[in-house]
Amino acid sequence: MSPTSHTPNGASPASGQAAASAAAPRRTEFSPERMAKFHDYAEEYPNKRSALMMVLRLAEEEFGSITDEAMEITADLCDVSVAHVQGMVTFYTHFKRPFHGKHRFMVCATLMCALENNTDAALIQIKDRLGIAPGERTADGLFSCEKVECLADCDKPPVVQCDNEHFCSMKGPVLEAYLDKLLKDEGKPADAYKGKAPVEMDPRVPTLPVHYNFEGETEQGARRFDDKDPYLKAGEGALTTDVPGPLATPLTVPVADGVNGKGSTSNGRNGHDRAGGNQVNGKNGAKHV
Amino acid sequence: MSDANKPNPAGSGDVPPQKKADESAAQKAAGSPQPAPVAAGAANAAATPPSAAAPAPAAAPADPKPKVPFSPILTKHINEPDSHTLAHYQARGGYETAKAHIGVTDPGALIKLVDDSGLRGRGGAGFPTGKKWSFLAKGTGKPIYLAVNGDESEPGTFKDRYILEKDPHQLVEGVILTCFAIGSKHAFIYLRGEFILGFQRLDAAVQEAKAKGFVGKKIFGKDVDLTITVVRGAGAYICGEETGMLSSIEGGRGYPKIKPPFPAVSGLFGCPTIVNNVETISAVTHIVKNGAAWHKQWGTEKSPGFKIFCLSGAVKKPGVYEVPLGITMREMIDQYGGGLKDGRKLKAVIPGGLSAPVLTPEMVEKCTLDYESLASLGSMLGSGGITVLDEQVDMISAIYNTMRFYHHESCGQCTPCREGTGWLEKVAHRFHHNEGHQGDVELLGDIAKNMRGRTICVLADAAAMPMQSYLQHFKKDFEAKVKETAFVEKQRTYRDEITPTAKTITATGAGPSALEVGSNQGTQRSGENKDRG
Ligand SMILES: Cc1cc2nc3c(=O)[nH]c(=O)nc-3n(C[C@H](O)[C@H](O)[C@H](O)COP(=O)(O)O)c2cc1C
Ligand code: SF4
Ligand code: FES
Repeated sequence: MSPTSHTPNGASPASGQAAASAAAPRRTEFSPERMAKFHDYAEEYPNKRSALMMVLRLAEEEFGSITDEAMEITADLCDVSVAHVQGMVTFYTHFKRPFHGKHRFMVCATLMCALENNTDAALIQIKDRLGIAPGERTADGLFSCEKVECLADCDKPPVVQCDNEHFCSMKGPVLEAYLDKLLKDEGKPADAYKGKAPVEMDPRVPTLPVHYNFEGETEQGARRFDDKDPYLKAGEGALTTDVPGPLATPLTVPVADGVNGKGSTSNGRNGHDRAGGNQVNGKNGAKHV
Repeated sequence: MSDANKPNPAGSGDVPPQKKADESAAQKAAGSPQPAPVAAGAANAAATPPSAAAPAPAAAPADPKPKVPFSPILTKHINEPDSHTLAHYQARGGYETAKAHIGVTDPGALIKLVDDSGLRGRGGAGFPTGKKWSFLAKGTGKPIYLAVNGDESEPGTFKDRYILEKDPHQLVEGVILTCFAIGSKHAFIYLRGEFILGFQRLDAAVQEAKAKGFVGKKIFGKDVDLTITVVRGAGAYICGEETGMLSSIEGGRGYPKIKPPFPAVSGLFGCPTIVNNVETISAVTHIVKNGAAWHKQWGTEKSPGFKIFCLSGAVKKPGVYEVPLGITMREMIDQYGGGLKDGRKLKAVIPGGLSAPVLTPEMVEKCTLDYESLASLGSMLGSGGITVLDEQVDMISAIYNTMRFYHHESCGQCTPCREGTGWLEKVAHRFHHNEGHQGDVELLGDIAKNMRGRTICVLADAAAMPMQSYLQHFKKDFEAKVKETAFVEKQRTYRDEITPTAKTITATGAGPSALEVGSNQGTQRSGENKDRG
């Protein structure tokens, strides 16, 4: 069985890892055969929204993982907002995302598998060979590892899934042979990851969809979507030098005023801990004008 | 139109890989550091021809309870090659029952037949199936749906897997019969996303049936239409809860909905919907074929029939065993399971999936496998996933693992569940590291008590029940891990010294390996909480 089973059939220009590059024109559809499948679903399901689970699987196949572009196309096809699709994708853990490795090890860590250290045996072996612990990915993005909950094969622990394949009793020589095969298929020497530092997988949404701006937003110099990074680390955002001090008197002016940048009181309240970055008006907003 | 099939050159996990792992597991037996029974057990339950689950019960010694000897029914053919194909199914009389009844029998009579048979839901709650069907709202003018629950995410349960992968046509036939009985024209079968082979096989089975005119328009040449849609989930335990599953089929997050209205009144898309487990619907096929009296000849008065049990943990021969209800737990463990490995001693048994309260060895002696017996012991038959824990198992680690599961899988709608499961996990984590605070035992009991009966679905209860039973039966284990430090003082130290992850690594005693750091990744459900101090 080819370990690359999740890669698209050459139909897609975007690989699993690279999110849709800004240079390529935005795609609005899947490949013709997957679109045909979508139309089948649309006919079979009572409404388009209800086909979402299956259409997301199409998107996953098409792009190798559920990228932003994949989510946008899915949203368009199923007549829902991108936010809804994002909500789905972050709720269901089995969908493959760009932050996962190309080969994604899912090791069952629930009680029946964890008994007698079976789960640990598999995890340690994976760590030994690939240098990745649960939650980590190799720096080249080829492999990632995570703990998952019961995979419904509890009598044959440890249970592991990888690349759409299901394995039971997956430790010792069996796992070793599988790892060997994967590494060989990738053209890597057996000790390719010895001593190499892994990177931590970041399950947060990597970028926000770039194609969804409010009309006229950019022209008017308003904040673009992708400026609104809620995860700015300290020092990452442009710091305002004159953050208003703490409130002297209780807030009495209507909030709307403050939000409009008139009243420094509300700015002081909302902005004091994450100086800047998020504010539409005032010093930070100015850079977009 | 096997979805995962075509675009994946790998055919995504058709038999070979699984087989491969099993075979290698068997080979491994010789040189393995593990004692032989482990591998033997693994190979036994493997879905491969030689000696899988089914034959064992057939050859099992006579037990006094059933009036009639029993041989497996639902799992009878799972070891035969190509048992998942239409040709194989028809060769053993498949679809004859549907053909005889569709468009001929009165649907009400079919419902009555199932009601008379005493069949009870095999998905967890054990609700009488015929009764559920008769609750269906009538005359609403809305379409009626059947939703088959193949989510099978209750840890310790792996029975539906065998039906889906090895004998999906009996499920399809059951769906046809059920839909005819309840007057539904559209059935959804919801499988968990991890059932890759199961999805392919079932989807192929539906297509085969469609090609033969058993599904689709004017089935069996009668004036009856039926669409069967197979939906694949994507890894969420909560989609096994019936209304959560319906939300997922509707194309949303798998959020359970408040009941009442029950799905039978307002379910999928606001229409009357019947939700049943895969095993329940498969049993319907055989009941309609053989009659209610046939079904009642096995089992007990209130729990008639047979059921597939999933045996895992420290037994010599884990696997799936289909037996009449009402046999003793001892029989299941000792005769079917071959007894405990390496002559170990029994410590506890989880009788019905992870949510079921644990049984102590004394309770196991009294226990028979039917709904009433387990209920009287304060536990439940649940989904039939029996896990045997031996003396080597640290019950505190076990409950910590269990709580981690529920915290991860809580959908986050209800505060008592979302926060409660996280809280239980955190406190259990303290015990796991031999650092229980004074008063923590009471705290756990208090949280668990307050989680029950206050939420939209019963996941909160499912998390609280095992915790309460562990506290009740294994209180000493908890108490042994309480450190003398008073709570407030301890809290201060934690705040000073944290980072919590560093804490995890350096913890002594029965601490987890360093690998535990990072825990489950790739999810943002229910506010993943890394701060476990
Ligand atoms: C948290 C939770 C998880 C559940 N998981 C499953 C499951 O995986 N499979 C299943 O068939 N039923 C599951 N159930 C039970 C269903 O809600 C429902 O009772 C069952 O599907 C009804 O079918 P039955 O009457 O045939 O048993 C679960 C219930 C709860 C509360
Ligand atoms: S009880 Fe828990 S899982 Fe169920 S709906 Fe509430 S939060 Fe979700
Ligand atoms: S506990 Fe690992 S497969 Fe069920």
